[in-house]
Amino acid sequence: MSELRTVGKRVPRVDARAKVTGTAVFAADFSLPGTLHGRIVRSTEPHARLVVIDTRRAAALPGVRAVITAADIPDVRYGGALKDETVFANDRVRYVGQPIAALAATSQAAAEAAAAAIEVRYEPLPAVFDVEAAMAPGAPLLHPDWETYTAIPLLKREGNVCNRARIVAGDVERGFEEADRIFEHRYTTAMVHQGYTEARAALASWDGSGQLTVWSNTQLPFEVQNTLAEILQVPPGKIRVVVTAIGGGFGGKLRVGVEHFAALLAKKAGRPVKILTTTEEELVASYPRQSTVIDLRTGVTKDGRIVAKQGRIVFDTGAFAGSGPGVASVATLVLAGPYRIPNLLIEGLAIYTNKTNCGSYRAPSGPQASFAVESQMDEIADALGLDPLELRLRNIVRDGDEGPTGQVLSSVGLEECLERAAAAIGWGERRPAPGRGKGIACGWWTTTGGSSGVYVKLNADGSVALSTGAAEIGSAALTGAAQILAEELGIDVADITLVSADTFATPFDFGAQGSRTAFAVGNACRIAAAEVRRQLFALASRELGVSEDRLALGERHVSGGGERIALADLARIANQTGGGIIAHGTFIAPPTPYDEKRVEAHVYPAFHSPSFHAHAVDLSVDPETGDVEIHRYVVAQDVGRAINPTYIEGQIEGGVAQGLGQALSEEIVYRDGRVLNPNLTDYKMPTAVDVPRVESILVEHPSVVGPYGAKGVGEPPNIEPPAAVANAIAAATGVRIRSLPITAEKIVTREASACR
Amino acid sequence: MKVTVSLNVNGEAWELSIEADRTLLDVLRTELMLTGTKTNCLEAECGVCTVLVDGMAVNSCTVLAVTAQGRQITTIEGLARDGELHPLQQAFIDRGAVQCGYCIPGMILSAKAFLDEHPSPTDGQIREALAGNLCRCTGYQKIVDAVQDAARVLRRERRR
Repeated sequence: MSELRTVGKRVPRVDARAKVTGTAVFAADFSLPGTLHGRIVRSTEPHARLVVIDTRRAAALPGVRAVITAADIPDVRYGGALKDETVFANDRVRYVGQPIAALAATSQAAAEAAAAAIEVRYEPLPAVFDVEAAMAPGAPLLHPDWETYTAIPLLKREGNVCNRARIVAGDVERGFEEADRIFEHRYTTAMVHQGYTEARAALASWDGSGQLTVWSNTQLPFEVQNTLAEILQVPPGKIRVVVTAIGGGFGGKLRVGVEHFAALLAKKAGRPVKILTTTEEELVASYPRQSTVIDLRTGVTKDGRIVAKQGRIVFDTGAFAGSGPGVASVATLVLAGPYRIPNLLIEGLAIYTNKTNCGSYRAPSGPQASFAVESQMDEIADALGLDPLELRLRNIVRDGDEGPTGQVLSSVGLEECLERAAAAIGWGERRPAPGRGKGIACGWWTTTGGSSGVYVKLNADGSVALSTGAAEIGSAALTGAAQILAEELGIDVADITLVSADTFATPFDFGAQGSRTAFAVGNACRIAAAEVRRQLFALASRELGVSEDRLALGERHVSGGGERIALADLARIANQTGGGIIAHGTFIAPPTPYDEKRVEAHVYPAFHSPSFHAHAVDLSVDPETGDVEIHRYVVAQDVGRAINPTYIEGQIEGGVAQGLGQALSEEIVYRDGRVLNPNLTDYKMPTAVDVPRVESILVEHPSVVGPYGAKGVGEPPNIEPPAAVANAIAAATGVRIRSLPITAEKIVTREASACR
Repeated sequence: MKVTVSLNVNGEAWELSIEADRTLLDVLRTELMLTGTKTNCLEAECGVCTVLVDGMAVNSCTVLAVTAQGRQITTIEGLARDGELHPLQQAFIDRGAVQCGYCIPGMILSAKAFLDEHPSPTDGQIREALAGNLCRCTGYQKIVDAVQDAARVLRRERRR
């Protein structure tokens, strides 16, 4: 490939200046004249019959302009794979925090006073807070009418089980017969929150013609548009969703959050309504990462070949399915691991309990499943007397191998990731001092497909407007797409203006999810650029009298045959004579073939353009306090092709920080269905003093599908930290903690019991 | 009950009639429409609302606006001069220290207050100084690097 001008370079992100000057407008900042303050009234009971909701006193208070409950809105069940959710609790509440009513008032204080004046009476029902209790015969059913709900047909459901996804390969029982040793362990992980610093926010406004506009910090404007259409019983063509700047998402802003409440209240009040959720609401009733219970049974030969693996990961999806059925499916691929295993029986279950509805959080299921798989790899290595790195190298997938569902893998950079991470951390000395140890963990992840469209338009000054339906959630993925467009058009990123995202004005995009934005939007940009070139060359050929095949694009000019013409001139001519230069580029990732016989009730049967990664950490544990001090942290990630190394490092550094939070300190603590720590004092996210410097090694095994070979990079760095840290703590202390978070308390308690 | 308050924000004088219990954050965002100062936890835990009061970084969500009377208040909107970015702002761009950007105004103002007092800090001191500002995107590393870069620029400027 010839020398690239922009791709691979550390170009500053296009929205940097707006963000450092405070001029970027986030959803929390946005308002219109006359905007009312919306507020949601939530259940205080985990499971109860709703006997009375009396809103009369609240509605009569000064400043209150609208109060709504289930009785005031269309009776609709909505959701993703499984439509089990309602806007408000109707006859029963299923978790503490479930919306019961919403109201809008002229001030925040009036809204709070009105919320307090709504009278609710409950009749408690037996509740279930634990997935195993929820699966047991005779358990209280969250949804007695579950069979009547609409769901995609492939889901396998039964009572509180809202999906049971499976991978079956080979013959797992025969595999275990071949094994010299069989290892069985249980791992558990806690519920954690995405922790975005801007809460979910939306402002809704209806115009006189019945058109709704919603400004929101959503990651998926088109999904929100469709969900609103479903909930409001209004055609999508009447619903415009405009994405503001987004103060972090990490998957927590995929599904409709507060947009529907704002829209319903705005309709009732006849005025714009804005809702900004509170920190307490975020920690009690958002879409956090599911807690899990994971059982793994793995059979190996004496020389460390894995011959069979049976695994079950059970997700506590809360009171509604949310992302559960899909996440339980994805999990099976992570639980199988990036290993060649001939005999597999892996199950992922999503279970209803009386807790908040869980959702998607950066690499959904990744950290939980990886924690189990990669912890057990170390336990197996120790038991066999093998080096954990060596055990991995004997089993990892390489080019041409099959994935767990039969997909044929190519451009597999895993071996290089493992070896470079190990070399960088100084793996040869795994226990450098008493209380000090090193851990390693590896994994794989998908680059989600889905379709993307862009418009690329030449402005009158020869600069370019890139219009995309993808949202920028902070990763700089759209700067990456702009770099690809700039490369293709021979211009600078500074010549590109970004328009994103508006469901009326910008083309469809599957959304900022699944590490796909730079990959898919970047590819759409390549297609659009080819069309822009075609239009430019046709026009320039006429203007210059030079045949198209002799023309080239560069330095904001089309040139050839000793002649040249500026893009600005071509734009001006095109604007005057032919409606301007504009192209529509579209992309959809080709499907990844897999063996359909190996999967059941599986929503996500193969990883597209998979990425591979290895994390290595060097840490010490204080034997008295259990405090963990991280000395060094290394990530080697196969990114296919680094479009912008700066922001890929940024993804790695930030993903590791989040992962360390999940590994060591973060947990939404429930007792009897109530969250005990709904504030940022007690929900402990890492601060600047808690996070080490992260050394990033960018490994490049190009994807054949990705733009310039790029693979998805955003989610993977969040996957391996809990496992790598658990393994290092075990190396340092000899104590294996099989539950997240690995708090100082757990370490000290276990160390003390080990000494007795 | 409403009271009359005189505020000096980014060098501009304001005379406001506001309820005595309103926070500085609320007044900045809803009365002065200076939304560069962000809102989140409202309990002084996350730091996104950080502004400077007489050069000191404070969480404006827990400061009553009336107590800021007679003091110099600086928000992120007041940091660039005549369109020229403050060295911290430029360093945050150059280092790639900005992702979603929601924590960044508060982060930059905390860093400014710190560098004014500690022109030659260690990385560890920078981390201590910024420990009250949560960032969920960056892992803080490029932020620390940006603050070091800005410190160098500011030291050079002082010598001139």
